[in-house]
Amino acid sequence: MIYTFELILRLAIWLLLAPLLPGIINKVKAWVAGRRGPPVLQLYYDLAKLWRKGVVMSTLASPGFIAGPAVAWVALLAAAILMPLGPLGSALSFRGDVLLLIYLLALARFCTAWAAMETGSAFEGMGAAREVSYAVLAEAAIIAAVLALSVHTRSVSLVTMLSPSAGAGAALLAAGLFTVLLAENCRVPFDDPNTHLELTMIHEVMVLDHSGPPLAAILHGASVKLLLFSVLLVQAVVPLGNLSAPLAGAALAGGVLAVTIGVGLVESLLARLAFRRVPLLLTTAFLLCLFALLVSWNWK
Amino acid sequence: MTPGCLLLIALAGITLGLLTARPSARLWLAATLAASAAGLAVALWILLARATWDWRAFLPFGEPSLHLRLDPLSAFFLALLAVLGGAGSLFSLEYWADKTHPTSAPSSRFWWSGVLLCMGLVLLAANGMIFLIGWEAFTVCCYFLITQERQKRAVRQAGWLYLAASHAGMLCLFAFFALLAARTGGWELGPLRDHPELAPLFWLALLGFGLKAGVFPLHIWLPSAHANAPSHVSAMLSGMTLKLGIYGLVRFSGWLPLPDSAGWTVAALGAVSAVLGVAFALGQHDLKRLLAYHSVENIGIILIGVGFAMIATAHGHPLWGQLALAGGLLHVWNHGLFKALLFLGAGSVLHATGTREMSRLGGLWRVMPWTAGLFTLGAMAIAGLPPLNGFVSEWLVFLGLFDAVSAHRVALWAAVPAAILLGITGALALACFAKVCGVVFAGAPRSELVEHAHECGWRMRGPMLLLAMLCVAIGLAPVLFWRLVAPAAAAWQPDWAGAALPAPLIELSAFHLGLAAVALLGAIWLWRRVKRNGLNRAVTWDCGYAAPTARIQYTAGSFAGIINEWFDWILQRERHEQRPEENFPARAHQVEHTPETVLEKIVQPVAVAVLHISAVARRLQHGRVQSYLLYLLIGIAVLAVLVAMGGAQ
Repeated sequence: MIYTFELILRLAIWLLLAPLLPGIINKVKAWVAGRRGPPVLQLYYDLAKLWRKGVVMSTLASPGFIAGPAVAWVALLAAAILMPLGPLGSALSFRGDVLLLIYLLALARFCTAWAAMETGSAFEGMGAAREVSYAVLAEAAIIAAVLALSVHTRSVSLVTMLSPSAGAGAALLAAGLFTVLLAENCRVPFDDPNTHLELTMIHEVMVLDHSGPPLAAILHGASVKLLLFSVLLVQAVVPLGNLSAPLAGAALAGGVLAVTIGVGLVESLLARLAFRRVPLLLTTAFLLCLFALLVSWNWK
Repeated sequence: MTPGCLLLIALAGITLGLLTARPSARLWLAATLAASAAGLAVALWILLARATWDWRAFLPFGEPSLHLRLDPLSAFFLALLAVLGGAGSLFSLEYWADKTHPTSAPSSRFWWSGVLLCMGLVLLAANGMIFLIGWEAFTVCCYFLITQERQKRAVRQAGWLYLAASHAGMLCLFAFFALLAARTGGWELGPLRDHPELAPLFWLALLGFGLKAGVFPLHIWLPSAHANAPSHVSAMLSGMTLKLGIYGLVRFSGWLPLPDSAGWTVAALGAVSAVLGVAFALGQHDLKRLLAYHSVENIGIILIGVGFAMIATAHGHPLWGQLALAGGLLHVWNHGLFKALLFLGAGSVLHATGTREMSRLGGLWRVMPWTAGLFTLGAMAIAGLPPLNGFVSEWLVFLGLFDAVSAHRVALWAAVPAAILLGITGALALACFAKVCGVVFAGAPRSELVEHAHECGWRMRGPMLLLAMLCVAIGLAPVLFWRLVAPAAAAWQPDWAGAALPAPLIELSAFHLGLAAVALLGAIWLWRRVKRNGLNRAVTWDCGYAAPTARIQYTAGSFAGIINEWFDWILQRERHEQRPEENFPARAHQVEHTPETVLEKIVQPVAVAVLHISAVARRLQHGRVQSYLLYLLIGIAVLAVLVAMGGAQ
């Protein structure tokens, strides 16, 4: 009974807090540019409105066009449930849960790409192709990062891996994971969520044809994914396990906020990369994680 | 009912099948299904009871005696053979029907029964001679199945290539078994770990079995054979024939002492096969050829698991070796199931549209909803997505690798790159199957072939449904299937027999069940919400373009373009293009083709050189007696000189 209650509470944290992050990023961007910008809660308003709207679906699309975003959303939430939350620990922890988490992200990717291909639009095919291709490099970097944590803590479960810091390689790991965060969440310099040129987009172009509740699921899922990566990054770097519970909670929240502001600053100060350069930057992220692995290995 | 009794029923069923293959398709089907059921029953019996069935008959003409044995390891492979044999025979009845293939359908049924019998014999053989006889017989039966459409040139070429490659492997196996028999003094097979002088023989076995398993760079026969065979045969080839190569490797690596570098070599070959197999798959435009390259990839994943089990054996068999081996073995089943499902699905597409070219398909879900759904399920399974079976076996292998890393021993040097490459393979496979499903089943039809297509009948749908259900079952309840995998792993390394459940499979099962249920509910909930809010259909929003046509869709080639560029150093794609020119361009085209790099750039030049040399050497053989006498004279003179020189010393 208590377990169910805790599970619901945890889900509520993820569901309700996640849409805050894109709002903060937009606020930071507006602040740097000297504008007032949209309200921090803008995504909540958008989601509420989309949930009530009707849907226009391509004549070519099958029911999979609706099922894809739904399954992707569930997969991202399932990944979020596996992720420990600092002092709260994890709702469900077992050996190898970190690999399950990586593959749940892959499930979400497959469903989004499938739904994009449903429309028969060249733009959406383009976006799906870019998404699945660049994810190969991002996944290599994540596996290397997980290996680094695993070597350091001699464990394969998220709770034990994330409770101490990444040790001597923490700075390298932070740089690598932050780059992966930007790529996987379609932020500048990999992708520009605000652009209106379909040819240059990755993620946004895949969801051009979605509308109404499915679009709400996609947008909400994207914000959960952003929160997920921020939480992962903060816990991998900051030794939350050594702090007392309230302090650890505050450190986690502060860390996530810092990462979010960092994303906003990167977005304000950097331009989007040419597509030829994207693999190079991702390879750099992979190498950073690999060096973190070598450092923590040597350090042992 | 004892195992012997059940095996006798299976034998009787197969024999009846061989006899009735030509006169009566229905009787053949009944007999084959009965044999499959009996085979499956005996395999499960042996696995659950962890027993070994042994039977020996002395033949009237002395050696070799007929010695059969079914232990958990061979039973594990026998179960897969039974499932695929049954599913394929039902599928073939509609796919390769008497009506459409009046001459080849009866003969294909006959050879199908023959293949089942001979593969069963290989799995049961406990005697080197019987093993070789069974091996050669099933190779030849497979040749006749592959070349069912031998009026086509491509089919004949594929058949010859298969036959040549198989017999190159066969030569290695002859040498292997002959040396084994010479060293041990008999043809009997069994554990020989205490003969360290036998260790070098492993390399011969690796070459022979590797050729059959389709390990990269020995996979040259595999793509064309899989693409040109009838689809139920492709399913059997990929699902079972390759696995017999794995069986041989696992069997003899368990019985024989291993050289020190064996595990490292096998794991490295596995990692290379996995990554390059999927890289080549991404370069293909032919649906079945693409699936064939994915077999290379999955054999690679299996070999990573088996290789790490061998490394573990060399280091005092810690438990991560059991995880890796169990993952590899479970992947044998999983790959057999979802790859057969995918090949049957591809066969259903081929049956309905008459083409394997992905660039001519598209939007098939509308006319073939069952095939589209089941194929997509298979695609998600092969891409290793939870909650399906492909994820479970890859997860076990991953756990083995991560435990090897945590152990901080020398195996760490192998486990780190293997884990990263395995992760890359998974992401590449996902990209490839997003491409296949998206291009073939989603979007708009790219040619009129699709509009005339039709959904397949129940005899083709049933086997696909069965395989898909097995994929889902292993995915949702891996803890139940552990009881079948563990005995097979324990038969390989007896020290692992008593080990408790090494992986948290109960938690994984629970999570998978929950995930599947919530995903289903979520999809229904969203669908109902959409219906309530109002659902309108309109033409695809192509950024304002009012009249999109099917030809402006993204193609398979462009979808895979980014990744293909990364692998161009090995793919060596050939491109012919005419770019649009002038102000009012009239014609433009682009044709892209990925050659069989290993075959066309390495094997063929060597073969041509050998032919040239033999053509020169043939001039010595011209039939003139005078010249032969001259050769004799020269030969005797040379010998005389040699003898004289030897005498002088």
